[in-house]
Amino acid sequence: MIVLRSMWRRSEGKFALVVLGLWLFVALVSLFWTPQPLLATDGYHVWAKPSAAHWLGTDGTGADVLSWLMAGSRTNLLIVVLTVLFAGAFGLLLVAAMVARKSALAGASVVVIDALISIPTVLLALILAVPLGASITVIVVACGFGYGLNLARVARPAALLAARSSYVESALAAGASGWWTFVRHIVPNTLPVLLVQLSLSAGTAVLAESGLTYLGIGVPSGVPSWGHSLATSVKFINVYPLTVLWPGLIVTIVVVALNVFGDVLRDAADPLSNPELRRS
Amino acid sequence: MRFIVRRLLLFVAALFGVSVVVFAALRILPGDVASVMAGLNSPASRVEALREQFGLNRPLVVQYADWAEGLLRGDFGTSILTGRSVTSLIAARASITFPLIVLGLLVAIMIGVPLGVAATLARSDAARTAFHVAGLIGGAIPALWGGLLLILLFARGTGLIGLFPSQGFPLDGWAAPGQAVWSLILPALTVGIIVGASLMRYTRSALGDIAGSGRIDMAMACGMTRAQAVTGVGLRLAMPQLVSVIGLTFAEMITGVMVIENLFALPGIGSGLVTDVGNRDLIAVQSELFMLAAFFLLVGLIVDLLHRALDPRLATAADATEVIA
Repeated sequence: MIVLRSMWRRSEGKFALVVLGLWLFVALVSLFWTPQPLLATDGYHVWAKPSAAHWLGTDGTGADVLSWLMAGSRTNLLIVVLTVLFAGAFGLLLVAAMVARKSALAGASVVVIDALISIPTVLLALILAVPLGASITVIVVACGFGYGLNLARVARPAALLAARSSYVESALAAGASGWWTFVRHIVPNTLPVLLVQLSLSAGTAVLAESGLTYLGIGVPSGVPSWGHSLATSVKFINVYPLTVLWPGLIVTIVVVALNVFGDVLRDAADPLSNPELRRS
Repeated sequence: MRFIVRRLLLFVAALFGVSVVVFAALRILPGDVASVMAGLNSPASRVEALREQFGLNRPLVVQYADWAEGLLRGDFGTSILTGRSVTSLIAARASITFPLIVLGLLVAIMIGVPLGVAATLARSDAARTAFHVAGLIGGAIPALWGGLLLILLFARGTGLIGLFPSQGFPLDGWAAPGQAVWSLILPALTVGIIVGASLMRYTRSALGDIAGSGRIDMAMACGMTRAQAVTGVGLRLAMPQLVSVIGLTFAEMITGVMVIENLFALPGIGSGLVTDVGNRDLIAVQSELFMLAAFFLLVGLIVDLLHRALDPRLATAADATEVIA
C-alpha cells in the first residue's frame, strides 16, 4: 500500500498506474462483454467510420475494431505475464548459477551467458516457429529466454555483492542451505535491478508480439491481439489509413507505461530511496 | 591467454550446439521435411522422390553429418524453390540489408547524438521533461507502426506529401543507384528514428556519467562555456562507449529490420528468411538460420575479446565498480 501511494504521488507513476490499471480492467471486462461479439461481422459496413454502433469503426471483414482491441488486450496481458514469469525464473536460475560457490559452475555460466546473449530474440523465435508454427508459445519462450539472459547479466553485480557479504557468510555458517540463503538474502538485494529489468522486458514483449505476429510467427491468425489488429490493418493502409492508428497508439502508450512503471516502482519499493518504507 | 582459449572453445561448442538445435528443429516437424516441402495433397510418389533427391531417407545422424560437413567446406546447400545456392541468395539479400542498416544508423546518429547532447545541455525542467518523454516514446513505437505512419505522411501516391516510394526495391538492384537509395529512404528513416531514440538515451547517460566525474566542470573552470565543454570534452570522452553501442546495434539490426523489410517489401536477409520459412524451403532455412546464429555468436566473440584487449582490468572491474556505486 505504501509503495502504491508513493508511486501515485509522482506524475509519471500516476500515468503508469492509470494506463496499466485500465489495461487490467479492459482485459477483465472483455471476458464477458465487448461492444460487439468478436465474430459478428457486418458485411454491409466494411471499413466503416467510427459511429455509435462501432466506436472505432470496422475492419475489412466488418468486425468491430474496438471489440477486437479489447479482446486483444487479454492476449497481450497473458503473453506479458507469461514472458515476465519465464524471464524472471530463468534469469534468477542463471544468477544462482553465477554466484554459486562452486567456482567451475560460476565461471562456466558467465561465459555461456556471454556467448548466448548475442543471439537475437527474433532468430530464436524463427527457429522455434519452424516446428511450432505461429503460436503464443513461440513468443513467450523466445522472449523469456532472451530477456532471462539479459536479466542475469544485469543482476549479476548486485547478486555477487550480496553473495560475498558478511550476512550471507554468517547465514551459511549458521547452517542455512545454499538455496535458502539465495532466496532469502541474495534475491532481495537484486530486487531494484530485477524490477526495472522485468518491466522493461514486459514492454519489449508487447513490441515483440506486434512484430512477430506481423511476420506470421507470433499469435496465430484468428486470435485477437494488438499485433493482430495492427497487422490486419497494414494490408489496407493505402485504402483505410485511420484503422491503423488505434492499435499502434495503444501499444506505444502501454510500452511507455511499462517502462516508466519499473523506474517508479524501483524508487518506491526500495527502502533506501523511499523514506516512508523506513518509517513503518 | 587462458581466457582466449576458453572463449574460442566455447565459440566452437556453441556453433556445434546451434547447428544441432537448428537441425533438430526442422526434423521434429509434424510429418517429415519431404512431405512438408511437397505440400498438401501431393501423391506419395512425389514425396518419395523428394525424399530420395535430398537424401532424407538416410538415418538422421548421416544427414546431420552430411550437412555439417558441407558447412565446414563452406557449402551451405541449395534452395529447393529457386535452385540457387544459399550463399548466393544471402549475398543478394545482404546487398539490400546492409545499405539499409548503414543508412538507418546514419539517421540514428544524426538524430540521437545531437538530441542527447541537447538533453544534457537543457536547463529548464520543461525542456528536460520534453527530451525525456521524447526518448521514452521513440523507444516505445512498434517498428511496424512507425513505418506505417511514415508511409501515410511521405509515400508517393497515397501520402500527405508524396516524396518516396513506399514499396519494393528496383528490380535491377544497384544498377540504378539513385533509384535504389531512394527506395531505402523511408525504411531507413523508420529504423533511424527508433534506434535514434535509444542512442539519444545512451548519449545522455554517458554524458551524465562524465559530468558526474567532474570533468565537464574542470573544462568549464578552464574557461570553456558549458556547451563547449559538453560537446568538446564530454562527447569526445563518451566516444568509445558510443562506438561500441553503435557497433552492437549494427549487428542486432540485421534481424531487427526484419519487420521493416517486410513492410516495405524489400527482399533483404530478414524478410527473405521469413519468406523461406513460409515457402517451406527447408534446406535453405536450415542453412540460413545457422549462418545468422553463427554470425551473432561471432560478433559476441569479437566484442568479448576486444573488451578484454582494451581493458585488462575487466576480469575484476565489473565487481569493483559495483562496490563503489
